[in-house]
Amino acid sequence: MKYLPLVWAALRRKPVRTCVTFLSVTVAFILFGLMIGLNATVESVAQRARTDRVWTGTRFDNAGLPMAVAKRVAGLPGVKRTTVMSYLPGYIADPKNRIFVVLVDGEYGRIYPDWGITAQHWDMLGRQRNAVVMSRKQAALLHKKVGDIVTVISPETSRADGSKNWTFQVVGLGEDISLAPAGYIVGNYDYYDQSRPLADQGKINEVDFLAADPAAATRLAEEIDRLFANSATPTLSQTEASALAISNNFGGMDVETVTREITLAGLLMILFFTATVIAQSVRERLAELATLKTIGYSDAIVIALVVVEAALPCLVGAVLGVTVAAGLAQQLPAMMPPTFGIPQPTMAPSVVLWALISACALALASSALPVWRLRRMDIASALSGRT
Amino acid sequence: MLRQIAIVSLLNFRNLRQRLWPSLVIVAGMTCVIGVLLSMLSMTEGLHQAYLNSGDPRNAIVVSRGTIWEINSSIARDKARMVMDMPGIARAQDGSPIADPSLMVGVPSWLKKNGGRTWVILRGFGEKGAMLQPSFHLVAGRTFRPGTHELIVGSRARFQVAGMAIGDKVILPDGEWPIVGAFATGDVRDGQLVGDTETLMLAVRHKAYNTVLVRLASPDAFATFRRALTTNPALAVDVMRLPDWNVKASADFSKFMHVIVYGVGIILAVGALFACFNTMYAAVASRGREIATLRALGYSGFAVAVSVVLEAAALSIAGALIGALIAWSLYDGVQSGFASDVFTLIVSPSMFGMAVLWAIAVAILGGLLPSIQAARWTVTEALRAK
Repeated sequence: MKYLPLVWAALRRKPVRTCVTFLSVTVAFILFGLMIGLNATVESVAQRARTDRVWTGTRFDNAGLPMAVAKRVAGLPGVKRTTVMSYLPGYIADPKNRIFVVLVDGEYGRIYPDWGITAQHWDMLGRQRNAVVMSRKQAALLHKKVGDIVTVISPETSRADGSKNWTFQVVGLGEDISLAPAGYIVGNYDYYDQSRPLADQGKINEVDFLAADPAAATRLAEEIDRLFANSATPTLSQTEASALAISNNFGGMDVETVTREITLAGLLMILFFTATVIAQSVRERLAELATLKTIGYSDAIVIALVVVEAALPCLVGAVLGVTVAAGLAQQLPAMMPPTFGIPQPTMAPSVVLWALISACALALASSALPVWRLRRMDIASALSGRT
Repeated sequence: MLRQIAIVSLLNFRNLRQRLWPSLVIVAGMTCVIGVLLSMLSMTEGLHQAYLNSGDPRNAIVVSRGTIWEINSSIARDKARMVMDMPGIARAQDGSPIADPSLMVGVPSWLKKNGGRTWVILRGFGEKGAMLQPSFHLVAGRTFRPGTHELIVGSRARFQVAGMAIGDKVILPDGEWPIVGAFATGDVRDGQLVGDTETLMLAVRHKAYNTVLVRLASPDAFATFRRALTTNPALAVDVMRLPDWNVKASADFSKFMHVIVYGVGIILAVGALFACFNTMYAAVASRGREIATLRALGYSGFAVAVSVVLEAAALSIAGALIGALIAWSLYDGVQSGFASDVFTLIVSPSMFGMAVLWAIAVAILGGLLPSIQAARWTVTEALRAK
C-alpha cells in the first residue's frame, strides 16, 4: 500500500497519456460488455429453458390444429400433463399497439408454474370467462389497471356475431418473465372458443405438455410429428430447450463464436496500444527505476510497480466500460428496426468476472516486455542514461 | 506553402524508423478496425447483392396493396386472371401472357451444419414458371409432374439442409412429398424448393395466390403495366420491378445488420482514434527540437501541423489496407448462408475505398489536437523541450 503514491506519481507524470490509455481501454470493454453480455443473455435463456416441456404447434401457417390433436397427445404413453392454447392477435385502441392474447385452459398454470401468475389469478382466469391477467410491463405500456375493461380489435379473428372486437376484464397483474420479454396477456380459452363462429370452434394453436421423463421428450416430439405427418394439419413439436436454443433463432449463425472473435479483435487492438504506452513510460523512467534499485528496492517490487501501473487503467477502464455497456444495452431495442430484435445484453456476474480477468491479462501481457527489460537492466548504465 | 508541407512531411517519413514501434500502434489499430468491419460487411453486402441479382430485371411482381412480406400477400384467382390480361405483359408464341401466379409456403427445416432451425421457402411454379426464370435449370433427377405431390430442390438446399436430398420426403399437409430432382439458378433461390402451384394450393388450403410474376413486353412497358393496374378500381395491388422488390424485401434485415456492424465498427474506431491521438502526441513531443528548428528556419506552423496529420493518415491508411486485404483474402468469394438464403460473401473495391475513408477520418480526428499543439509551440519553448 505504501508504494501506491509511487504508482500514482508515474501515472500523473503524463496525464494526457494516462487519460487516453484509460479511455481506449474503456472503449474496448464497452464492446466486450455488449458482445459477451449478449452471450450471457443467450446462455441464461437456454439454461432456464426446460427440457421436459414440449411445444406442439402447426407446421404450416393455416387455420390451427383441431382439438383432437390435443386428445391424441394426452393419450400417448410418457406424456404427463397437457394443456392447450390459442393466440388472439390484434391491437388495443391504435393499430400500432400490436398485442396478442394467449388463451389457455385450466391446466396451463400447472405446466407453467414459472409463468409469474399466482395460483389465485389462475383460479380467477378459470372462473370468470372474460378475465385476463396482464404482465406489469404490458399493463404499464397500455395504461391499464386491475378492473379495467380492454377491447382487443383483431382484424384476423372474428366472433360468431361477425364482430372483430373482443372485450376482456383485467383481473390481475402478473410478474414479467423471460419467456415473454415483451410482456403478456393471458385469457380463458373456453370464452374465446365459444365466441367463435361454429366452423372455427375447436381449433387450437398449440398443445404444450410435460414429458414424464425429460430424456424422452425429444423422442416424444418426433413421434408426435410422425403421427400427424399424413394429416391435414401436420405438427411441429420441439422441446422448449431446443426452441429457445440460439442456433434456432439466428438463422443457424454461430453467434457465440462471432461475438468472441469481435471481442478478441478489440482486445488485441488495445493490447498493442497499452503495451507501447507502458514501454514508453518505463523507457522514460529507466534512471528513476535504477535509482529505486540502488537505494535497496528489490527487483520484485520495481517490477510490481510497473505491472500495477499498467493494471490500474486496465482494471478501472474495464469496470467503467462494462458499466457503460450496461447502459447502452438498455438503449439497444430502440435502435433496431421494429420487425427485428436481438436479445438485450445483460452484465451477468460472469461477464464482469471475465472482463476483470481479461483486464488483468491485458495488463500482464502489455507489461511483459518492459519487465523483461527491467530485469536485464544494468543499473550503472541506466543511471548514466546510456540505454 | 505546399513545398513547405512536402519538405516537412518528407522529413517526418524519413525519421519514422526511429519511432517505429509507437507508429505501428496506429497501423495495428486500423488493421483490427477494418478487418472486423469488412469481415462483417462482407456478409451484408453479399446478401444484398444476392437479392439484387436473384430477380430478372425484365420481370415485375404484383402483390396485394401494402404488403411487406411476399408470404403475407394475397391475390385471389379472379384478380390474378385480371392482372394477367393487362397491357405491357410479354406474350408467348401462342398469344398467352408470360405470367405466373405463384404461391409460397415456409417449410420448417434443420441445417446440417449445426442443427439450427430454418424455414426453406417452397415456391409454386405454374406452366410459365420456368419460362419466367431463364436462369432456372435442372441439374439432377427430373422435374415435378404437374398435379402430383412432387418437389424439386435447389442445389444448395439439397446439400445444406437436412432431409432435402433427392428421394427424401418433405412433410406437407395431406402427406409427404418426395423430392424427384434438383435445380440451380445461381442465386438465393438455390436455397428453395419448387412444386406445382395448383396442387400445392389444394394441399395447404390456400384460396388465393401470393403473387403474380410477369415478364414485361419491354423495359418501358413497366409504366404502362403499372398504370393499367393502379387505375383499375377492381384491383388493390402494388407492382414493382423484381430486383427492386427483392431489395425492398431484404431492407429491414439489412438495416438490422447495419446497425450491428457499424455499431461495432464505430466502437472499435473510437479505440483506434485514441491510440492514434496518443501516438501522434508522443511523436510531436519527441520531435520538439526538430520542430523548433524548422520554425526558426521559417517554416510555418501550418506546414508543421499538416505534416503531423499526413503522417497519421499514412499510417492509418496502411493499417486499413492491411485489414481490408486480410478480410478480402479470408472472405471474398466464400460461400455462406443465413437461414435458408445462400449467397457469396463479398469484399468489394468500394469497401476498400470506405476503409481508406475511415482511416482518414480517424487520422484527422486523432491527429488534429497533436498537430495544433505542434503548430502553436513557440520556438524558444520548443528548443528548451527535451
